[in-house]
Amino acid sequence: MNTNYLKNILSLIFLISLFACQTQVNSTEQYICPMKCEDHKTYDHPGTCPVCKMDLVKVSSLEAPILDEDGISEESIFNLQSEWKTQDNESIHLTDLKGKVLVVVMIYTSCEAACPRLVADMRNIYSKVDDPNVDYVLVSIDPEKDTPEKLKTYAQEEHLEGDQWILLQGKLDDVREFSNVLSMKYKKISPIDFSHTNIISVFDKQGVLQHQQEGLGVSNDKLVQKVKALSEE
Amino acid sequence: MYGLKYPSIKLLLLCSIFYLVGCSGSSHENGENTMDIEVHGKINAQLTSPPYVPDPIGSRPAKNVIVDMEILEQEGQMANGVSYIYWTFGGSVPGSFIRTRLGDEVEFTLKNHPNNKLPHNIDLHAVTGPGGGASSSFVAPGHEITFSFKTLNPGLYVYHCATAPVGMHIANGMYGLILVEPAGGLPKVDKEYYIMQGDFYTKGNNGEPGLQPFDMQKAIDEDADYVVFNGSTDALTGDNAITAEVGETIRLYVGNGGPNLASSFHVIGEIFDRVHVEGGKLINHNVQTTLIPPGGAAIVEFKVEAPGTFVLVDHAIFRAFNKGALGMLKVTGNENESVYSGTIQEGIYQPEGGSIQTMPGDQGAPEAPTAQSVSERIKLGKSIYARTCLACHQEEGQGIPSAFPPLAKSDYLNADVDRAIDIVLHGKTGEITVNGQKYNSVMTAQTLTDEQVANVLTYIYNSWGNSGVEVTPMMVTKRKSAH
Amino acid sequence: MSRLKYIFACFGLLAFSLTGYSQTPTGMQPIKGGTLIPLYGLDSGKVWVDDFLLDIYPVTNEQYLDFVKKYPEWKRANAKSIFADGNYLSEWQSDLQLGTHMNPKSPISNVSWFAAKAYCACQEKRLPSVDEWELAARASETKANAENDSSFNTRIIESYETPNTYSKTVGSTYKNFWGIYDMHGLVWEWTSDFNSVLISGESRQDGEADRNLFCAGAAISASNLRDYAAFMRYAFRGSIKANYNIKNLGFRCAKSK
Repeated sequence: MNTNYLKNILSLIFLISLFACQTQVNSTEQYICPMKCEDHKTYDHPGTCPVCKMDLVKVSSLEAPILDEDGISEESIFNLQSEWKTQDNESIHLTDLKGKVLVVVMIYTSCEAACPRLVADMRNIYSKVDDPNVDYVLVSIDPEKDTPEKLKTYAQEEHLEGDQWILLQGKLDDVREFSNVLSMKYKKISPIDFSHTNIISVFDKQGVLQHQQEGLGVSNDKLVQKVKALSEE
Repeated sequence: MYGLKYPSIKLLLLCSIFYLVGCSGSSHENGENTMDIEVHGKINAQLTSPPYVPDPIGSRPAKNVIVDMEILEQEGQMANGVSYIYWTFGGSVPGSFIRTRLGDEVEFTLKNHPNNKLPHNIDLHAVTGPGGGASSSFVAPGHEITFSFKTLNPGLYVYHCATAPVGMHIANGMYGLILVEPAGGLPKVDKEYYIMQGDFYTKGNNGEPGLQPFDMQKAIDEDADYVVFNGSTDALTGDNAITAEVGETIRLYVGNGGPNLASSFHVIGEIFDRVHVEGGKLINHNVQTTLIPPGGAAIVEFKVEAPGTFVLVDHAIFRAFNKGALGMLKVTGNENESVYSGTIQEGIYQPEGGSIQTMPGDQGAPEAPTAQSVSERIKLGKSIYARTCLACHQEEGQGIPSAFPPLAKSDYLNADVDRAIDIVLHGKTGEITVNGQKYNSVMTAQTLTDEQVANVLTYIYNSWGNSGVEVTPMMVTKRKSAH
Repeated sequence: MSRLKYIFACFGLLAFSLTGYSQTPTGMQPIKGGTLIPLYGLDSGKVWVDDFLLDIYPVTNEQYLDFVKKYPEWKRANAKSIFADGNYLSEWQSDLQLGTHMNPKSPISNVSWFAAKAYCACQEKRLPSVDEWELAARASETKANAENDSSFNTRIIESYETPNTYSKTVGSTYKNFWGIYDMHGLVWEWTSDFNSVLISGESRQDGEADRNLFCAGAAISASNLRDYAAFMRYAFRGSIKANYNIKNLGFRCAKSK
């Protein structure tokens, strides 16, 4: 028993020194040649394929979509950890929106030029799609001014009413991160105004980006079609 | 983690917007709506580096044409001993030649090599749509982007990079030509070549050796150090000359990348039978010199009737002789006395005592190393020769018959060293007889230091069966003060 | 995400001393705030930047390797594609080994914005904003603001044109007025709000003059037409996306005062 115990301790120290700051030791992962040179032969350790010399990859990484332990695809916006406030002052994470098709736009409520048109387009899409399994999400790029109360008022003014309309306020940093996921650009150009790109994005029920409509006054037919198809999946 | 996981939905969308806008400008001048031309099948575009062009489109119908172009930022040779970091479409300056026909639907993929430092895009003048494709093709290093367009107007068009600072991207070589042939193709000719003029701005003056960086101030001042065809002083000279046989018809696709200088394109000893003026539909006949603005092009056609070397120049002539805007067309075959008797003078004409000559020492001459021995002098002289003399007097000093006298086994040269020094220092105009042949041409004064004059003459005297004299800087200085 | 898998974190901390610290010098220098005229897009033309701290050197390969060891979610095999595309650490031999040809002390590159952001957050720092970065980068050796020094600008443009500078050792360029190295001459650097550069013709909203960086567009809206180096930087920022990983793009961290 003693020797075993000692062995364990020694190997633990050895492991620690090997992996230094590593916080995760995953021994169950199998590795395989990405070209499948040896068919389905797998290895316990990373290395190179003896046939084509390519780096072995994890077996799991070859299957698409790649899901982590929570069943979230690695392309999903549900990977974002950020916390948001809704117009009803509820705290939510993006994963809370899982299971519904999402139509997303980034706006700010004091915007007078492009945003009213974007919001009108959102309403138009909403009535064309006419499906309770789709949520409509408006994320403010001006979280300093767009408080939950402000968003609530805005939703009323713009007739964005019902459970399917979700208006979000986030932290400055998280809003910037979210815009990067959408490849959306914006810049504060004066104390009240922003310049920004006009993009309406569609995410499937797993939070993976499936379609983007860019520009103002563009036909939303394609987008509507896509939303309907995704909702039926 | 591996492979492309980010669908380029946005890009596709951009293309479709782009496409829609394209429609609005689709009515063609001859009444036919070129937008309605149907495509049949798909082909990969053949892309060629200058001076070559892809095969003619012939009678093929309009097709989906796949163009795959890679942007490379790479070091290349501007002149002998002078290198430059070129930014290129397809690894050459000008970029790869793209050949399409009217109604083709081009699917264009632009790849920005991972080693590149800058984002780029492409503005094709053949495209009707926002930015000529520039707004849909902005691509970061290590990425690629695809957009599509339909060719609606036949003609020869420039393409170029339009990323800020635009001037710098063009000045570094990011331009090329795309040809849209009419249905049925252009009339058949024997030889076709691709030539593009560009002006370059380097930190060191013309000829200063080493890797020369871009000089923004000179570019803004439009003070070019090099004006060249196909990206370097020797791209179309010596072994790189374009060739033809006597009796052949030649078509040159000539573009001007600029960024600043318009080209007065001329072939010494030829008259263009036909010029598609500005690359468009209008055809002019019997043209001596055609003007090609930056961002413009022309198609010139002529038949070569006599053998010999025909020199291509920007007839703003200092650019040709002092900045590199020289190319050569070597025509082989039998003499045709009725066309060319051999005594007609061709080239530049200046009145007697031409006032064009620049005096050495007027401006700061480029610095150069000092030769410590005859062999070193010959070695240094050789590179000066390549830069300054070779274009006219040729690689083996053989000259160009009836235009530029030979230096090889030259009785005129070997007879009088002081006279040779004087000619290099002050230029030479008027008739001379060399090895029994008469020449009446102009050589401009060369802005060289005494050391350089000595080196280049020593090289010449020690080559090609000449007398083997060493010319020293002292001898040059002495001749200078003799005037 | 489940935190359970990090139960070994404490062992990691204990073991830290065993591996020794990274050899690349670290440290920050204070940058004094001031007004800045960004190349693009401000109604008022000027922006005020507060005092802040900035890393003296760009983050190096070996420093990033340490980070990846500590935070395995940023190993090449683990990084999610929404956060880093297929070029992430693409020149590394394996998850925990730099490429054989790589200089441990040259700037890390082929990292995404998300990765750079996470790195800085783990050091209790953040990425600098575009304005902060520009403020620090306009300093020459002797002047806090060398915008009007043409030889300084020429030097910057030349360094941008020079190929393969990403493999140089950090600190091999000049030390600027603030004591910061390598702001120009090694790699482009990520900034927290790089996507505030609205170019490439995406911004087709009505009434927005800030259209793009192409041809006339650039000349119309830019504040300084002669600042070619800034044009190159802003064009670069406008061309990238947050999950891109580029060979000539690294980062350094900042901190508010």
